[in-house]
Amino acid sequence: MSNEQTEFADFFQASWEPCLRAVMAVAGSRQQAEDQVADAFAKAWGSWRKLQRHPAPRAWVVRTALNTGASWWRRRRRELPLTDHDLAAPGDLDGGLDAALMTAIWLLPARQREVIALRIFLDLDNATIASQLGIEAGTVRMHLSRGVAALRRELTPTKSLEDGQ
Amino acid sequence: MNIHDELSDNEVLRAASDSLSAMPVAGPPDVEAIMARGRAHRARRLSAVAGLSVAGVAAGTALALGLTGALGPARTTGTIRTAAFTLVSNTNGTATLTLNPVQLFDPGQLQSDLAKYGIPAKVTSGSYCTSDPEPAGFSQVVSLPGPGTSQGTSRQTLTITIDPAAMPDGTELSFGNFQLTTGELAGEQQADMDLIDASSYTCTSTPPTLGPDTPGFGVLRGGQADGRH
Repeated sequence: MSNEQTEFADFFQASWEPCLRAVMAVAGSRQQAEDQVADAFAKAWGSWRKLQRHPAPRAWVVRTALNTGASWWRRRRRELPLTDHDLAAPGDLDGGLDAALMTAIWLLPARQREVIALRIFLDLDNATIASQLGIEAGTVRMHLSRGVAALRRELTPTKSLEDGQ
Repeated sequence: MNIHDELSDNEVLRAASDSLSAMPVAGPPDVEAIMARGRAHRARRLSAVAGLSVAGVAAGTALALGLTGALGPARTTGTIRTAAFTLVSNTNGTATLTLNPVQLFDPGQLQSDLAKYGIPAKVTSGSYCTSDPEPAGFSQVVSLPGPGTSQGTSRQTLTITIDPAAMPDGTELSFGNFQLTTGELAGEQQADMDLIDASSYTCTSTPPTLGPDTPGFGVLRGGQADGRH
């Protein structure tokens, strides 16, 4: 492998899971997300020389994955007969998954999910999220605030009941 | 803690992170395969640029018609029904497009009708236009009905909702419609969709593909919606 290939391979190995989880949080479907993220990484390699100098290459991958309309279309076609979003499919709700919280996440507007996913999985600050999404930092704060408030409403009663017992 | 206590923002985000992180995910695919796909992307992009002199003229002509003719931005309301699709103008400014998989849409008709509802689109047959980089916002512009609807139970139609207000300035929706002629899906139809920069895009006669490791994608197969698995 050349140095360039090795650098990309290292980036790919380290970034696959956080990018995939961020896209899953927005797109809702695991299979769709895997497909889109794989395609986005392929595009990343196709533009690697430029992307190496990008301030947030993982965010570039996530945005590219979420902007991949063709795969979105086709994957949805296949998934429609099953369930709209396997993010909340019962079969996924095991381990540490909180069904109500997952549903609440999915019910957020797409932009709020996107901002939250970029914060959680890529650990980006508001300014970087804003530049990646092409919106103002204040708008990011607004989406984050509203999204967190909606999730808090889902979480607070549960915690209160647990603490009261 | 009583009912009035609230979780901090960080606690909420941590809980969301914990739950989302508990979802099992596949490990990364083979990096060599990813790089091979990347090389194919790059080759297609270069090929598309080389073919732009022809495709660009045709696409530019379509764009000019959209801006100056009867396909202009004046928005109408109501429902347009054709054999291939139904387009409904919703009160919130969005439009719902339902495609009939047993009848392929006529590109000119669909582009014209989308324009009537304020949706700038480039609908092509035998080619597909994309921008590099792709404009942000596709997931904001195009969506399916939310969870819990009956949409998922039918293989007979595909319904999407398009929000023209969410389209960034200078963008259009690209619809590509292909008759596949090679590979195991030869003889079948494929429709693809993306958001493009109207001032910077390339068109290719090669249908988009996600590579041999793609688990499956929907096609219009001999009059039936289907998915390869």
